[in-house]
Amino acid sequence: MHKQNKYTVSHAPFWHDGDTVTTLNQNIILAALPAAIFGILKFGAPALGVLALAVSTAMLWELAFNFISKREITIADYDSAAIGLLVGMMLPATAPWWIVLIGTLIAVVMGKMIYGGIGGNPFNPAVVGISVLLVSWNAIFDFDAALLNYEFGFTALAPLGALKHQGVAAMDLFQIKELAMGNQVGSIGTVFGAGIILGGIYLILRGYIRWEISLSYVAGILITAFLFRLVNPDLYASPLFHLFTGYTLLGAFFLAPENSSSPVNLTAMIIYGAMGGVMTILIRNVGSYADGTVFAILLINLINPLIDRIRPQALGKGVNNA
Amino acid sequence: MIKRSFIKLTGPRLLCDQVEPDPKKPETIPIPPRLVLLLHEPLDSTRETLIKKGDTVKRGERLFLYKESTEYAVSPVSGTITSIASYTGDFGTIATYFIVERDEKDTPSNGFAEIADTPNLKSADSFLRSLPGAPPLSRFTDPDCKINTLVIEGTDSDLMSTTRQYLLATSKEEIKRGIQILRQMTGVAKIAITVPENASDDLSAEGVQVFKISQVYPKALPQMIMQDHLEIIPVPGATCEDQGVTFMSIEAVISLAKAYAQKEPVFEKVLTVIAKDGTRHRVKAVIGTPLHRIFKQFKLQTNERDRIIVGGPMMGHAAYTLYHPVGPDTDTVQIQDRDAIPYVSDYPCINCGKCVRVCPANVPVNLLVRYLEADLYEEAADNFDLQSCIECGLCSYVCTARIPLFQYIQLGKHQLIELETEANNA
Ligand code: SF4
Ligand code: SF4
Repeated sequence: MHKQNKYTVSHAPFWHDGDTVTTLNQNIILAALPAAIFGILKFGAPALGVLALAVSTAMLWELAFNFISKREITIADYDSAAIGLLVGMMLPATAPWWIVLIGTLIAVVMGKMIYGGIGGNPFNPAVVGISVLLVSWNAIFDFDAALLNYEFGFTALAPLGALKHQGVAAMDLFQIKELAMGNQVGSIGTVFGAGIILGGIYLILRGYIRWEISLSYVAGILITAFLFRLVNPDLYASPLFHLFTGYTLLGAFFLAPENSSSPVNLTAMIIYGAMGGVMTILIRNVGSYADGTVFAILLINLINPLIDRIRPQALGKGVNNA
Repeated sequence: MIKRSFIKLTGPRLLCDQVEPDPKKPETIPIPPRLVLLLHEPLDSTRETLIKKGDTVKRGERLFLYKESTEYAVSPVSGTITSIASYTGDFGTIATYFIVERDEKDTPSNGFAEIADTPNLKSADSFLRSLPGAPPLSRFTDPDCKINTLVIEGTDSDLMSTTRQYLLATSKEEIKRGIQILRQMTGVAKIAITVPENASDDLSAEGVQVFKISQVYPKALPQMIMQDHLEIIPVPGATCEDQGVTFMSIEAVISLAKAYAQKEPVFEKVLTVIAKDGTRHRVKAVIGTPLHRIFKQFKLQTNERDRIIVGGPMMGHAAYTLYHPVGPDTDTVQIQDRDAIPYVSDYPCINCGKCVRVCPANVPVNLLVRYLEADLYEEAADNFDLQSCIECGLCSYVCTARIPLFQYIQLGKHQLIELETEANNA
């Protein structure tokens, strides 16, 4: 008898399509880069500072939590990095350092880690972080005041703020093309709509986000805004204006489809996405916040477990042919 | 291991391999001096076995472990039993193996020859169960299942294998004869045969339905065939046999035809052997041939920590020794290099939804796995459709968190059966 090797014995299947949590998050970060880099170019070093601080602190909070809870170190999966990047992208370039710190702390620790880490969070962590900031330090998100010292070659007014305070008349100041190309005042990573769409399409094509959610979200925005406008065009802004301003596109492609807090079944995904779009416009047009995206997303996160029960019947269930 | 395609709007489309247009004849592996025979019955160390170490056996002789045993192995050679021992398989299933040392006399046993003139289900079941292809003859004699449909599988259900397709393309005459014998023997109402979708169908023998099966995995799985072609929805937790359908490999049909023609059981199994680099060899080896004999013939090296896969990459199982024998149902053997083995992790489910998208049985795998991880098997079955799973393995294949989902599922099913037997015995 010859010497026996030890072979790897494990369970089928013996192949894998190659995806990992790390590649998933790396791709999400990659897809967010066009919009983020545009923001850096536009708002300069402070923007870079905010993004860098957001990403690094997000990872550090997770590391600290890993240590305190004596768990395995999980930051290598880039999940916190992605959360931090998204938080940073939703902040104005002039956000003070402590706001960034608090934002990522809330996002990573309260948004994710206390639920047991990745996969357990019922709400999108980045959205949790930003909404706490929004409620507590609303003035930071007054983009007009925040960006007062900047010289722009275009209407230096935050579109949604202008809409809220000056009404539809202010809309003449904005052209959709300009808005889409990032010629608007806003947070670092959300002004360049075309870039976010590009990233979103990349993620959809590569199968890293669920396209049903993104598309129904966009549809929800467009249809609801269209209906409002149908009722009173003097009071409400156009659908495309809503699409290219505020956090709308980031919400559609990066926030709403976050894995853990969104549904996986077809009908549920469509209801979830569409409701997100509808709620965003409702908050903007009826509510008191200029941009309703993050609250709309918290709301759909909340109903996610309920609607995700709507799922196709499993094989052989409900048939009686035995 | 296959990498994901760059663009991935739908799920993965895994295609089963097709047999080459002008297939070569299989290469014959010489009968080894020592054969390993597996018997699916546990060895009880406190009892004396019927067959003992040192006994001589004839070619074609059946080996029963105990007097009341119904399971048997058939020795493909004449020789001496040199060892009887326990073998542990998946989930702790215990089987027994015999090692037979071949002698030069090659004395045949004439048990089967005496009854081979009149093909009959009962006698066939008591002599031919371990023919190449493992004909499920006991299913027809089992009073608990009323089989009314026999589906002959001319398609390979797992990826990479082309064994059955090869036999389908090259043994037309035997297939026809085998079908005749089966029809006469079983009196089954409906016989169908599965063929690859692009096969020329000159096989439509009298009264045999031909099912063209898509190349897309897992369309060739029994439950999928039931659903797509017989319009019978598989009942969760029930076997195909419970629903009156039994599946038989095309090789079993051919072996039956040959056995009755030559009035002696046949022992040569055809299989596809796949090297690390993907090269294929079609092989004919006697049942009981240890795998290392085959690897030696083709100079296939195996190293520490490589994986030896018996069966396909989605549903096969890993062998832990090179002495693992070719069995009646071994259609494929492949060696996977240790560097090509994808890792599994203990990450939690991140709810990416890929498993739900890919599952052909609509099982909510993302929820199911949470219950299986917590050992809540009954809840898993009652609320999360554990029993609807048709065991294709696709969920594990796509899982972003690299959870061994399929293993959890099979373990869950296994535990359910244990719980049930416990409850019945209580
Ligand atoms: S193995 Fe997974 S994908 Fe296949 S049927 Fe079962 S649950 Fe669904
Ligand atoms: S594929 Fe894996 S990580 Fe994704 S939802 Fe299914 S079980 Fe969870």
